[in-house]
Amino acid sequence: MKKSLVLIVSCLIIGVLLLPFGCGEKVKPIKIGINAPMTGDIPKVGEGTKFAAQMWLEDIQASGGLEVGGKKYPVELVIEDNESKAESAVKANTKLITEDEVLAIVGPQSSKQAVPAGGVANNYQTPMISPWSTNPNTTKDRPYVFRGCFLDPFQGPVLANFIKEEFGYSKAAVLYDVASDYPKGLAEFFKQAWENLYGPGSVVAFESFTTKDADFSSQLTKINRSGAEVLFTPQYYNEVALIVQQAHELGWNKPIVGSDSWGSAETVKLCGKDCYGLFFSTHYAAAGATGATKAFIDRYNKKHGYIPDDVAALTWDSLRIVQEAIQSSGQLTGNVAKDRQSVRNALARIKEFDGITGKMTFTEEGDPIKCAVIVRISDKGEFEFYKSVCP
Amino acid sequence: MEFFFQNLINALQWGSFYALIALGYSMVYGVLMLFNFAHGDIFMVGAYIGFGVASALVGFSAMGALALPNWLILALTIIVSMFLTSFVGMIVERVGYRPLRNAPRASAAITGLMIGIILETGNLALLGARRVSFPSLIKSTTYDLGGVFVTNKKIMIVIVSLALMYALHRFVRKTKWGMAMRAMAFDFVVVPLMGVPINNVARMTFALGSALAAVAGIFFGVAYPVLDPYMGVLFGWKAFVAAILGGRGSILGACLAGFLLGFIEIFVPMIFPSTLRDLIAYSIILLILTFRPHGFFGEPYSARLRL
Amino acid sequence: MKATSENSPKSNRSRARAFREYFSGVPLLGWLAGGLVAVLLERFLGTPLAHLLGLPKVPVLFGCVIILKKPLLIPGTVIYLLLVYVLPVGIVARLCGSVINRLVSWLFNLSPTFSVIVHLCLLYGLLSIWSGISAYRLLTLKLTLIAVIVTLSLNIINGYMGEFSCSHPGFMALGAYSASVVTLLLFVDDRVFGAALLPEALGPFMFPVALIGGGIVAAVGAIAIAIPSFRTRGDYLAIISLAFMFIVKSMIENLEIVGGPRGLSSQPNYVNLPTLFLWTVAAVWIINNFVRSVLGKALNAVRDDEMAADAMTVNTRRTKFVAFLFGAFWAGVAGGLLAHVLRYVNPGTFGIQKLAEVLAMVYFGGLNSVYGSIVGAVGYSLLSEALRPLELFKWIIIPLLLILVMIFRPTGLIAFKEFNVMNLIRPKGKPIREESTSKGGVLIRS
Repeated sequence: MKKSLVLIVSCLIIGVLLLPFGCGEKVKPIKIGINAPMTGDIPKVGEGTKFAAQMWLEDIQASGGLEVGGKKYPVELVIEDNESKAESAVKANTKLITEDEVLAIVGPQSSKQAVPAGGVANNYQTPMISPWSTNPNTTKDRPYVFRGCFLDPFQGPVLANFIKEEFGYSKAAVLYDVASDYPKGLAEFFKQAWENLYGPGSVVAFESFTTKDADFSSQLTKINRSGAEVLFTPQYYNEVALIVQQAHELGWNKPIVGSDSWGSAETVKLCGKDCYGLFFSTHYAAAGATGATKAFIDRYNKKHGYIPDDVAALTWDSLRIVQEAIQSSGQLTGNVAKDRQSVRNALARIKEFDGITGKMTFTEEGDPIKCAVIVRISDKGEFEFYKSVCP
Repeated sequence: MEFFFQNLINALQWGSFYALIALGYSMVYGVLMLFNFAHGDIFMVGAYIGFGVASALVGFSAMGALALPNWLILALTIIVSMFLTSFVGMIVERVGYRPLRNAPRASAAITGLMIGIILETGNLALLGARRVSFPSLIKSTTYDLGGVFVTNKKIMIVIVSLALMYALHRFVRKTKWGMAMRAMAFDFVVVPLMGVPINNVARMTFALGSALAAVAGIFFGVAYPVLDPYMGVLFGWKAFVAAILGGRGSILGACLAGFLLGFIEIFVPMIFPSTLRDLIAYSIILLILTFRPHGFFGEPYSARLRL
Repeated sequence: MKATSENSPKSNRSRARAFREYFSGVPLLGWLAGGLVAVLLERFLGTPLAHLLGLPKVPVLFGCVIILKKPLLIPGTVIYLLLVYVLPVGIVARLCGSVINRLVSWLFNLSPTFSVIVHLCLLYGLLSIWSGISAYRLLTLKLTLIAVIVTLSLNIINGYMGEFSCSHPGFMALGAYSASVVTLLLFVDDRVFGAALLPEALGPFMFPVALIGGGIVAAVGAIAIAIPSFRTRGDYLAIISLAFMFIVKSMIENLEIVGGPRGLSSQPNYVNLPTLFLWTVAAVWIINNFVRSVLGKALNAVRDDEMAADAMTVNTRRTKFVAFLFGAFWAGVAGGLLAHVLRYVNPGTFGIQKLAEVLAMVYFGGLNSVYGSIVGAVGYSLLSEALRPLELFKWIIIPLLLILVMIFRPTGLIAFKEFNVMNLIRPKGKPIREESTSKGGVLIRS
């Protein structure tokens, strides 16, 4: 028994020792980290991120790698689960940066994780791009952190102006999730914009609920009574379905307007006919999309059986931005710290990027300037392009 | 005034979910003195089973194999899911609770919590992260009663829930099994010595509680047709509050506390700014417990408890 | 402990016992010295050795991540672990056993306090060298140490007092926010509170005050639970504390001044490893003394039989009150530390998810035991970090493991065991369990 053990161990040692020599000289792959919530509160967001990232990787692999400075590099994705927790996101980012030595990080998606994780990326001077986080703190004073979506201060006025022009109403109600960063921020910016248009008191009901709530009847009853002419609810698609249906059940028959978080195929699937004819602002319109956007949607739909939501599209764009930055950085030295620096500089230099969610440029803070699209949910349940609003 | 009635009706519906789930907690708590933290996730499993059964039945009748009217599909869904979910409950009891019957009570609470996590993650692994939409079996009709909007769904949910609660009450009061359950709640140590089959009673308790949770899950799917794997977590913890608030082993207490919780959560945003809802709602619960430390129908007990 | 695992596949029981006896003469200091040699070895020879074995990098967290992600590299990793950890620890511990034993007994006779300090210095050296190899290790270590404090503080209430409290995330939130507000207000130019009120250089010295302040705020919050819930015996503490947790979360969400749901960020980076290590040692020491004091014994009496305790002149209400506040205090301190390690807090962090995690750590490690809490916190933290590559299935394996622990050891891994420092640092004697802070990841296997 002892002999066989010795034999096995020595075989292993020899095998392992030979392993690195057998493979020969390899080009060091480019590693991109993905920090996404695969478990926890919002696994759907993690899934979209992962699928989009894998599609991107397929593209790269199909073309034989990423060409930088005339040399093809294989690409590796390192996907880490942040469990939708802040400390886990910090751990995941630290691991990606120091252990996996990734060149750049895409993610985390929600601000709850992106703000602390951005701090880590900035400390270690690693370029990070959060596709979905709208909290200003994510990128503020952090030269290495970028984002792929527009900020709330832009979207709020866009929607307020749209409602004014489209319907001419002057009394609005807002229903939002007080415990979630994004809806709360957007609700407040909308309120501000609306009051700039119609003066204080024109937002007649400013109601809230808490994440994971399913019953909004109390708030909706209050909104019904307030005499509001339009309801604005910057919620995620699962809540949108519930809010719209319950509003209709409680006798609300005026328009409901939403924000980019509505932009998921699931919205219509979950909400059904109740959502037909409603408007929302978003990054891109799936129905009637053209060119690269359409190609992306069709491919995703074919592969995973549903139309990608905005997280997937934004992740895709963020990865493409990273790709372009890597390619335009000239050449890779193999020294990760140096390469990260040059990728960061290349990212900041990107002036015009033509993504599937629209053209964008980055500000000093690392935030993109891009156009918003107003989408109408058609009577067939498709997202129809209605108009485009640029800053 | 109609504002008040509108909220009253909303609160009745919302409260009946809490009450149905709290009953499951309360029965386990009464009979075995254990916190069944997996119950919220059994509610989730019940909703998903209901979703599966309903989709299958809708699919069958769409294929023309058997043309069933929608109300019959709903009734069948409820019965089949109650049956299936009660098995889930019994398995949970067998795996997570029976081995721990003589362990400190908190350990069983932890196994419950962990089984809950397994159920959530298992669902996530099996069905993916997609949220599913419960098939709309009942066409929602809204009645306008002088400014108060009532839907047929709401009426059905409240009535069926109340009927089930009454049925449970009769069961516990009038049948032999019910008597055994009450006896166990009365004294955990001596009653089994009197020949009450403790394992069967425990299994029965879990089965009943899970069946009720399944009904709650299906109604939840009917009223709020978006299901996700984590839907039971917060719901479960809140129903847990209601169950304990009702008093140990009291069915009436759990129902009342469930409705009370629903009423508080609906009426607080009616009166106060809705951002403060949780703050005020749970402060009220704290206040109630300060003055009524044994819950509504609980008795102060000084008998030595396990741990 | 580590050495046994190397031998276990082929060993039957008697051989394992012989093996254990072989190492029984090694005092704790010997193990620490062995560990120190191992981490020094890794520090200076780790990278070349890893390259030689075909590993891309020095394996982090004892190679778990590599093993789960790249099965091809398993042999290399195992050999690496053998060469760097198991063999040096075993050899040093065994060979220098007698020498160190003499040293230990000399130290012990000289002054036990001094001996403890020597042990702690060695432990700190070991941890700092181990974590100095990569920032990821350092972060994992920091969060683990914080988890130790939290778990200990909850064990006071759920273990020693025998109640079921669900409010720990709430206490942590209170502590985290209070400490953050103090440091942000006084020492940092930030967006929320404006310019620093005091010179920044003063910050690190005032930081303990901020932490203690956070702990006190948490303890004051605990009064709100303690008053209604200790009027009666029973499970009402469970729901009162749960309600409290919801209240705290909702309150912070509504306080715009501390950022609402957006949270507070850019806390100063005060919590480095030595600070955190000192705080953890202080927490373990104070809590251990607390539970072994008269008050702690009274607490156990109250748990076992409140009426009898009352009859024996224990002031039950006061005892419970003090213990509850004490537990809340340390949870608040841990919250403050967590906020400054992550340098960000938001109310969403302190919800049901956190509660489940903290409860799991307490019951996993063992009730009524300082040992157990350390083992539970370290084991759970390292396990959840090591299984990270499994993504979704991690959350099936960890709960399953916990269920098994609960079924076979209902009170947790190491329950009802006194943490006796004198026994730990004593020379030789019976087989000595090594201090788990250093290698808790292995201890779970034992």
